[in-house]
Amino acid sequence: MVLGLSIVLMICSVLLVLLVLLHKGKGGGLSDLFGGGVTSSLGGSSVVERNLDRLTIITGLIWVVCAVVLGLLINRGA
Amino acid sequence: MLGAFVRAFRTPDLRNKLLFTLFILTIYRLGSVIPAPGINPDAIRQCLQGAQTEDTTGLYSLVNLFSGGALLQLAIFALGIMPYITASIILNLLTVVIPRLEALKKEGQAGQAKITQYTRYLTVALALLQSTSIIAMARTGQLFQGACPPSSYMPSEDLLTLITIVFVMTAGTCVIMWFGELITERGVGNGMSLLIFTTVVAVFPSSMARIWSEQSPWIFAIICVAGLVLIAGVVFMEQAQRRIPVQYAKRMVGRRMYGGSSTYIPLKVNQAGVIPVIFASSLLYLPQLAIGLLGQDSDNPVVDFLSTYFGPTGTHPVYMASFFALIVGFAFFYVAITFNPAEVADNMKKYGGFIPGIRPGRPTAEYLDFVLTRLTTPGALYLGLIALLPMLALGASGASGNFPFGGTSILIMVGVGLDTVKQIESHLQQRNYEGFLR
Repeated sequence: MVLGLSIVLMICSVLLVLLVLLHKGKGGGLSDLFGGGVTSSLGGSSVVERNLDRLTIITGLIWVVCAVVLGLLINRGA
Repeated sequence: MLGAFVRAFRTPDLRNKLLFTLFILTIYRLGSVIPAPGINPDAIRQCLQGAQTEDTTGLYSLVNLFSGGALLQLAIFALGIMPYITASIILNLLTVVIPRLEALKKEGQAGQAKITQYTRYLTVALALLQSTSIIAMARTGQLFQGACPPSSYMPSEDLLTLITIVFVMTAGTCVIMWFGELITERGVGNGMSLLIFTTVVAVFPSSMARIWSEQSPWIFAIICVAGLVLIAGVVFMEQAQRRIPVQYAKRMVGRRMYGGSSTYIPLKVNQAGVIPVIFASSLLYLPQLAIGLLGQDSDNPVVDFLSTYFGPTGTHPVYMASFFALIVGFAFFYVAITFNPAEVADNMKKYGGFIPGIRPGRPTAEYLDFVLTRLTTPGALYLGLIALLPMLALGASGASGNFPFGGTSILIMVGVGLDTVKQIESHLQQRNYEGFLR
């Protein structure tokens, strides 16, 4: 059980990293961190981005649930 | 003041943005209290209470500040946005060194997007590195300075659990990065800085409560007043700017008349913001990392030297002096990176603008450079002083080491707060202007 969940969690983590990296990066780095100019990004999100968002949210939910359940299992077991 | 709030929530567009931002921030805070799998939250809490009676300016204070206390709880969002900040700093410094990055930066929007993408890749790599080192420290019990046996908060020590934790923490950092981008895109303000803001503010109530319970009410009141005065001072300095007048010549293009307006270039006293402080603290964090890696009690002369002068408490005069010098140096450096007088002068010349009394072209660039240098000098000194303040308070009073108004956190709070309020205001103005015309 623990082994299986761990593997699922790891796969989810890798997927999550990949999905986030697939998103187009918004925000121009450090210069507009902490009070830079106003960067207005015109144009709505494309279909690809919207599907990516959906996938990321689903993966993220599975990831969180797995993490919590696994944590409970390990703590109960020990 | 309250009226503006009501108006902000009456505007449907702005209300959605505000609610979205709050929603994301809530999820972020939730994630930083969920413990990573294989960590016993109750034991961790006990360890924390034991460790908090010792000094709070310990080894990981800055990193812990940027994760809002999530790091020491070994939560799934334990790393916070620190990897992203570090990655941005590294790439910012590299743009000066590597010609290819500089060329990308000059390309404008497309190049900037590419640099952002590199930052994201680097963030993942750094997150992997940092989570591994944190797990290693947690396993040896170094995370709580040996105050707590690691077997209590990490019940299972097999490799599988450890690897899972590293994976989860890395993925958590990516999710945080995505949250920041989502807020920037669909919410109010800059996402990354808002996330930092929340983490900085999140530690506030608990540290205030600790002072309330440990010290007498008088000291509590004095600390509150001192904090308010400090915040007011920082707001004053952050808003301070010099306006250099610029006159644009009138010109005809076809039948249209262009220019003829007079504007100004705002030069802020503290043009660099908090970034020099963050640069300097992350650099000075390196010797402490080296001490941790080399082993605290080896008789290595290097370790001996580092721990006497750059030890974790950070109250040695040499440490403070180098911190100050680094901040001042970085302030000038960062202003030089972000504001290029020659470029500004060139642009002004192109569009027929000039500063009254100064010739366009090189004299303008020299004038701008002169003014900027003269303006940055007090700005840099002020930054250094503000950042040193908690350490000075620590050295002067000794006992009240848990002064919550650290220089970095106040700078971040004020900077981000002002910026966000300005953005909300500009949204409101858009709305009101529209209504006015109708």
